Amino acid sequence: MDIVYAQPLKELLQVSTYFKEKTLLLVSGDIQYQKAKQSDMNPCLVLSEKDDLNNTKGKMTAVVGGSIKSNEFAVKIKADFLLQPSNTKQFFDLGLAQKLTDNNTTVVLMFEELLEANSFERHAIWKNFIEIVAYCKKKKTRFIVASGCKDPLHLRPRKVRESLAVMLGLEQNLAQKYLEDLDNLK
Amino acid sequence: MNIEKKKKATIPLSQRERKRYILLEVLNADIAEKDFYFGFWIELLSFFGSKGLAEINPRIVAYKENKAIIKCRRGKETDLIAGTAFITKIRNKKIIINPVISSGTIRTIKEVAKVFTGKAKDGLPEEKKAPETKESPKK
Repeated sequence: MDIVYAQPLKELLQVSTYFKEKTLLLVSGDIQYQKAKQSDMNPCLVLSEKDDLNNTKGKMTAVVGGSIKSNEFAVKIKADFLLQPSNTKQFFDLGLAQKLTDNNTTVVLMFEELLEANSFERHAIWKNFIEIVAYCKKKKTRFIVASGCKDPLHLRPRKVRESLAVMLGLEQNLAQKYLEDLDNLK
Repeated sequence: MNIEKKKKATIPLSQRERKRYILLEVLNADIAEKDFYFGFWIELLSFFGSKGLAEINPRIVAYKENKAIIKCRRGKETDLIAGTAFITKIRNKKIIINPVISSGTIRTIKEVAKVFTGKAKDGLPEEKKAPETKESPKK
């Protein structure tokens, strides 16, 4: 399963069916959530600290990281996904990895952000994610690479995402297993 | 001064560097062979750098009908596949590169791709296919 942002559903379905891959659609707000559900997509609510947490029961939740506060928020609400926990600065450590393992949270690298970064930022992001993978391996936290795109033509095949995870330091069988685990999520 | 021409010693098969072949498929746009070469090298070079690319040692073996066979060092195929994720545009055309299969022999790749085998629909190779002859009407 791939994780992408809300976008033209028709084109997204065309590309994802070619790759024989389901997609998890990141939506913000109940209206978008219902829309995605109506069109047989798997929606996932993106939450921030300002959002109301009462309506999240039984729904998949994700938190966009990138600061100490937002990473802690993901731990606090036991989110299913922590997207992009660090950017050019490192906000991830062994303690956070342990907490995420306890909450059964998956750490996600959004490939689109790496793609959009310039060459100066790209190496910093890459270095931080090598560290994140090392922490995740130590604490057995689930880690995946997702397309994280807003354009259907930026969707990446599963093999590519798997090899990106392997390049970051994850073992091949673990990279495969974590992606398969995501397929089984309902 | 006489210069003796010595025949180059061939490296035995067992001592040669092991290689892998990868079949890549270009989706969403028709890309010419030259443009693919250019886009492929630029993006990989910017991501891996000269040293990294030398270690992977990629070579474009063949390109036909938006399908390419790439040769690389064995054990580096994951790096090469990961590197193709950074190729998003060639000549301002948005593309997706899909790695179809990786294999140790070029034969398997050609069998999967079919465009490189040059076989016509009825099973005969295109060159050897008998030309159509006009039959004279029977009297």
